[in-house]
Amino acid sequence: MIKLIIFFFIIFYFNAAISRNAGETEITTEDGIEVFQEEKYYLLKKNVEIFSDDLELKGQLVKIFFEKDLYDIKELIASENVEFISELYNLRGKGNNVKFNIKDQKIFINGINSELYLETTEMLSDGKIIVNNLNSTFLIEGPNSKLISDNIYIIGSKIDGTFETINNKRDIANLNVEDKNKLNIRTDDIEMFSEKAVYDKKKSTIELFNNVLIKRGNEIISGDYGIINTTKNSYKVSSNNTKKVKAIIVDADE
Amino acid sequence: MVFFIIFLLISFVYFQSNVTKTNNISVNKKTADITKPKFSINSNKQKISVTANEGNFLTEDKIMLENNVIFKSNKFKIYSDNVIFNKKNLVASSSNKSKFVSKNAYIDSVGFDIIQNGNIINFKGKTKLTLK
Repeated sequence: MIKLIIFFFIIFYFNAAISRNAGETEITTEDGIEVFQEEKYYLLKKNVEIFSDDLELKGQLVKIFFEKDLYDIKELIASENVEFISELYNLRGKGNNVKFNIKDQKIFINGINSELYLETTEMLSDGKIIVNNLNSTFLIEGPNSKLISDNIYIIGSKIDGTFETINNKRDIANLNVEDKNKLNIRTDDIEMFSEKAVYDKKKSTIELFNNVLIKRGNEIISGDYGIINTTKNSYKVSSNNTKKVKAIIVDADE
Repeated sequence: MVFFIIFLLISFVYFQSNVTKTNNISVNKKTADITKPKFSINSNKQKISVTANEGNFLTEDKIMLENNVIFKSNKFKIYSDNVIFNKKNLVASSSNKSKFVSKNAYIDSVGFDIIQNGNIINFKGKTKLTLK
């Protein structure tokens, strides 16, 4: 008898949980919805939850802008402890302020502890993260900006680049990294520091500019310019002043 | 035993007479101040017509609209059962279960306020918006 009651209990709540039909967007709030007809937006208040085929989002305050008709959504701005996940686009993220531009397929995340996970690429920042799905570009800017991918770890105040999609999987094609206080790029066995870096996947190179420092094992090389061949795992360092290139070989026993 | 049967009969007769009395009470239902009231909220961009089955004056300006209250514009309809409508400032307010229906957009709430000549509709409390 108890098993039967539990069975019906589960069936009841399962049905309640999947009350949304395919293609529908269901939005619930604790403290109401204001509809601004002239300004053309909904203001959703307190513990807002959005469930659709493309996106699930939770936030405390959400503005949804619509076009001519009330169902024709063009932009969503969520604030305060926002978390979202899209299985369709294989992404998830969180932040204090998140904006989705539906028509242009852009995501903006602003504020401290902003996070975006795009397949195997992790983007973190205390400033802003912007991803444009239409032209496959991204920007991470501000304090504690990081990009972590399969075998690369990048820290810089500004990281921008492009994706390429191969076999339905996004991969980084180009990267520009800047940081006046020295950026940091780590691969499996090389660590790089400089003020600017450019990664080109086609050429398999990472170019480093100004205050360059490369560490590999016991080698530490510094100069004004460096180029790393990511396929051959080799590098060259040069300087504007030929005497300026400095190599230090640290004794492994030290 | 005889006394018990007599007691039961008396009780039955007494109960029946009370039922008859109850059935004979006529309900003096208060008639509404206005039957089938009709108003409209007009702005530059839209006209919202307001209809109900009954309306009762709460004050000179405030009217309690009851039963099948409908707010209708060219873009939406709102259904509720009890709405206070201020005919002076054109503000409508309800604390009852309400349903908003528009093209492919539906809102269920536990009340609403219509302010600024219908430009802002504030659905109150736990609210669900469904977009199709």
